[in-house]
Amino acid sequence: MKRRDFLKTAFLSGAIASAGWDPFRAFTNQGRRDTSQKILILGFDGVDPHLLETFIRQGKLPAFAKLWQEGDFKPLGTSIPPQSPVAWSNFITGTDPGGHAIFDFIHRDPQQYLPTFSASKTEEAKRTLNLGNLVLPLSGGEVTLLRQGKAFWQYLEEYDIPATVFKIPSNYPPAPSKQRTISGMGTPDILGTYGIFNFYTTTAAEVQKDIGGGRIHNVYIIGNQIEAKLPGPINSFKKDRPETFVNFKVHIDPVHPVVKISLPGEEFILQEGEWSGWKRVEFPLIPTQSVSGICMFYLKQVRPDFKLYVSPVNIDPANPALPITTPSSYSKELAEKFGPFFTKGLPADTSALDSDILDEKEFLTQDDFILAERNAMFDYELDRFESGVLFYYVSSTDQRQHMFWRLIDKNHPSYEPKLAKEFGSAIEKIYTEVDKILAKALAKIDKNTTLIVMSDHGFCPFRYSFNLNTWLKESGYLSLINEWKQGQEDLFLNVDWHRTKAYAVGLNGLYLNLKGREAEGIVTEREKEALMREIAHKLESYIDPTTGKRPILRAYVTKDVYHGPYTHKAPEIIIGYNHGFRVSWTSPLGGIPKKIVEPNTEKWSGDHCMDPSVIPGILMTNRPIKHSSPHLYDLTASILKTYGIPIPPTMRGKPIF
Amino acid sequence: MWAFNQAITWLFKIIFFPWEKLHPWWGMIYISLLTGLFMLWVFRLTSNQAGIKEVKQQIKAHLLEIRLFKDNMALTLKAQGRILLCNLKYISYSFKPMLVMILPLLLILIQLNFRFAYQPLAPGERTIVKVKVKPGFDLLQMPISLTSSPGIMVETPPLRIEEGGEIDWRIRAVQEGHHLLKIKINNDQEVEKEIFVAARGARKLSTLSPLRPPSNFIPSLLYPLEKPIPSDLPLQDIEVIYPSGNFHFLGLSLHWLIVYFLLAIAFGFGLKRIVGVEI
Ligand SMILES: [Zn+2]
Repeated sequence: MKRRDFLKTAFLSGAIASAGWDPFRAFTNQGRRDTSQKILILGFDGVDPHLLETFIRQGKLPAFAKLWQEGDFKPLGTSIPPQSPVAWSNFITGTDPGGHAIFDFIHRDPQQYLPTFSASKTEEAKRTLNLGNLVLPLSGGEVTLLRQGKAFWQYLEEYDIPATVFKIPSNYPPAPSKQRTISGMGTPDILGTYGIFNFYTTTAAEVQKDIGGGRIHNVYIIGNQIEAKLPGPINSFKKDRPETFVNFKVHIDPVHPVVKISLPGEEFILQEGEWSGWKRVEFPLIPTQSVSGICMFYLKQVRPDFKLYVSPVNIDPANPALPITTPSSYSKELAEKFGPFFTKGLPADTSALDSDILDEKEFLTQDDFILAERNAMFDYELDRFESGVLFYYVSSTDQRQHMFWRLIDKNHPSYEPKLAKEFGSAIEKIYTEVDKILAKALAKIDKNTTLIVMSDHGFCPFRYSFNLNTWLKESGYLSLINEWKQGQEDLFLNVDWHRTKAYAVGLNGLYLNLKGREAEGIVTEREKEALMREIAHKLESYIDPTTGKRPILRAYVTKDVYHGPYTHKAPEIIIGYNHGFRVSWTSPLGGIPKKIVEPNTEKWSGDHCMDPSVIPGILMTNRPIKHSSPHLYDLTASILKTYGIPIPPTMRGKPIF
Repeated sequence: MWAFNQAITWLFKIIFFPWEKLHPWWGMIYISLLTGLFMLWVFRLTSNQAGIKEVKQQIKAHLLEIRLFKDNMALTLKAQGRILLCNLKYISYSFKPMLVMILPLLLILIQLNFRFAYQPLAPGERTIVKVKVKPGFDLLQMPISLTSSPGIMVETPPLRIEEGGEIDWRIRAVQEGHHLLKIKINNDQEVEKEIFVAARGARKLSTLSPLRPPSNFIPSLLYPLEKPIPSDLPLQDIEVIYPSGNFHFLGLSLHWLIVYFLLAIAFGFGLKRIVGVEI
C-alpha cells in the first residue's frame, strides 16, 4: 500500500455524521485589546532560501528584495524531522516535538504495528440509541487534536490580545480559543480522508489502475446519457453503515463536446476542458439529517472516451459537518463573503496529477483557483487587521515544489525536457505569486507592525528512495516470515516480530521493538541504549553502492535532541536524509521491497523530509534579527516578548529581536 | 388571454409601483397587508357573520362546561361532541368566502411568484437557457441557434437532449439591464425571450419572467408576463433558470409563499377588530 493509498482509507468513517450534531455551539469573541504593536506573519510553506535568493537576485521578486534591503533575511532552522506538521507545531507551541508530540505525519500503534495519522483522532458518539436499522447519536462524536502544548494565540488570548490565525497546519480540529482561527493542513475532506477525488471514465483500462487518493468509476453512455454516483461519508445513522451517495446524470450532446450535469437541485453545462466552479452536494443520512459538501467538476474529455474529474468533496464552510473554525461562525462568515472555498487541509490535488488523472496544466489551473481564493481572503483579513497578530498561510508554494521539482532538475529520474520547457517555470511562478502577497502586506503595514515572512522548511530534489525497512532487514535488525515473499506485502504483514529488533514507520521515524511497549517486543530496556547508538551509527555510515553517496546524513537519537514531556513517545531514532535522498513510498507504511535504494520516478519529485541542515526554511523580517541562527520556536518566543508576555520555561525558543 | 394577462400584469405593476426601488421585504409586507385586508373584506361580505358569532359563543360555552364538570365523564364527552359539531358548522360558514377568494388569490399568487420566487442574474453569473421543442420534431436536424443582445454572452453550442425534446445553452450575464435572447429556428423563424440582469448587492423588487409559455390556456395563465410563443413555431416553451429568491430571516431561508401566508394571516387577525370582522 502506497502512502497515498493509506490516505485514502476513510479513517474518520462514520463519525462525520455525529460530529456536527451539537446544536449549542457557542459564539465567541476574540481578544479585544487594541495593541500598539502589531505582528503580521506570512507563512509560505516550503519556501526555500536558496531558490528565494536566486529569484531575488534575478530581479523576479521585487517585494522580497525590498524587505530584505530594509530588514533582514536568514535561513530559519527547521524541526527534526522537517515535515510540515512537525515544523509548524514547533512554531505554534515554541517547543520541539518533545513538547507537542507530533513526530511525523504518521505515527504507529505499538500494539498492532499499524500506522496511524498523527494529527487528529476521531471518535463516534459514545452513547447511541438504536431504533431498528437506525442508530441515533445521543452525544456528539468527538474529533480530537493530537498536538499537545499551548498555541501562541492561546497565550495571547490570556492577555486579551487579538489574533487571527489563517489555516496554520497542525491545528485541526482548531484548538479551543476565542481567537479567529481556521484549520489548515490536517483538515479532512467530507469522507474523513486527506482527499479522495472521483474520476468517471468509459475507458476500461483506466478503471483497472490502482490509484491512491482517488476512485475511478467505470461509466456507460446509454442514449447520450450517463448515470453516476458521487460517494459521500459512511452513514453512521444506519446500523449497517452504508456509504452515502449523491446520484447525478450527465447528458451529452450527440455532436458537440458539451454536457449537462444534473445534481439534485442544480444543473450546469460544461464544455470539454472546463471547470464548474464550486457545487454544493447534500449527502442524505436520515430524513432530518444530511451532510453538506462542496466539490468541483472538470470535464476532461467527451469523445472518444468520456472523462469527468470531480475534486475531493470538501467540508462546506457554510454548513461545516466537522469543526474547522473558532468561533464556529467564522467559516460561515467567510462563506457568506466569498461563497464556497477550499477547506481541505492541502487543497491541491497532487494525487490526481501523480496518477495522470489531471495533467500539469489542469493541476495548475486548479492550484490557481486555490491561490485566487487565498488572495481574496488575505485582502479581507489584511484590510481589517488593526490590532494584535495576523498569521496567514499559503500551501501552494510547498505543493508546487513537490510536483514540479523534476522539471527544474536535469538530474532527476523523472525529468522530461518537453514538459520542462512548458512547465519548468511553475515553481518560479508561485514564488512571484507570494511576492505579490508580500507586496500587499508591505503596502499595508505601519511603523508599529513587525512583519515576519517565514517558511517551515526549504526544498531539495528527491531523486532516490531509501527503503529503510529493507536496510533494517539487510542489516539483521528486521526478519521476515517468508523470505520469498519479500516486497509483496505492506503493513509489516510479512515481519517476524519475534526476531525483529527495529522497524520504521512514517517518513523519518525508526522504532525499536521494545519489550513491554510493542505487542511482541523483544528488545529489553538494558539493550536499548546500545542498540539505538549502534543502528544510528550504521545508518550514518551506510554508502549506497550505485551512487557512491551516503543516503543518510544524520540519525538522531530523539532523547538527545528532544525536550519536554512527550519525548518518551517519540520514535527512538529520526532519520536525517542527505540531499537528493528520501525515504521510499513503501517503507513508511511497513513495506519491505528488495532494493535498499531506488530511483524516484514519480511526479512527486521535490521534498523536504531530509536532514534539517539540508533544507532550512526562510526568515525575512522588517527588523534586524539578533539571533545568529534562528529556529522556528524562536519566533514563538518573539511574539510573546513583543507583548510583554513572560516566556514560559517549557518554551524552548528565545526571542530573535 | 394575452390581453387579460396584460391587464392583470399592469394592475400589479401599479400596485407595486411605490416599492420598486426597495428590498422585496417591503413589497412583501405591503402585499401581505393588502391581502389580509382583502380577505377580511371578502369575509365580511360573504360569510354568515351572525352565524359565526353565535357558533363561537357556543364553543366558548361548551369549553366552560368542560372546565366546570371536568369530574363528570359523561357531560365532558357530550360537550366535546358539541364542540366538534360547532367546528363543522364554523367551517361551513366560512366555506363561501373561501370559494369567493380562491380565484383572485390564484391570480395574485401567480403575479407574486414572479416578483418573489426568483432573483435576477448577477453580472458574471452563469445559467441555463432551456428550449423545449414540440414532440415530433427531430432535434438534431433542426437548425437552431441562440444569440443575444450584448448584455448576455452565449457560452456553449446547443446541447440537445432528445429524450424530452430539450435544447440547452449556457449563458453568462455580462451587463446589468433588460436583455433579449433571440432563438433562430430553420434560418427564417425567430422568437425572443426576455432576461434581466442586476447586481446582487442591494436587492430590489423586480419582476422576472422565467418562462415564455406556449399559447395553450393553462401555461399562459400560469406565465402571464410574456406573450405566448406563436403556435406555428415548433417550440413549446423557453426557460431561463434564475437563482432562487428565498427570504432570509434569523438565519432561515424561507420560500416566499410561507412568508406571504404567515404575514397575510397575521395581518388578518391583527386587523379584524379594527375592520370589525368576525372570523
Ligand atoms: Zn511538503
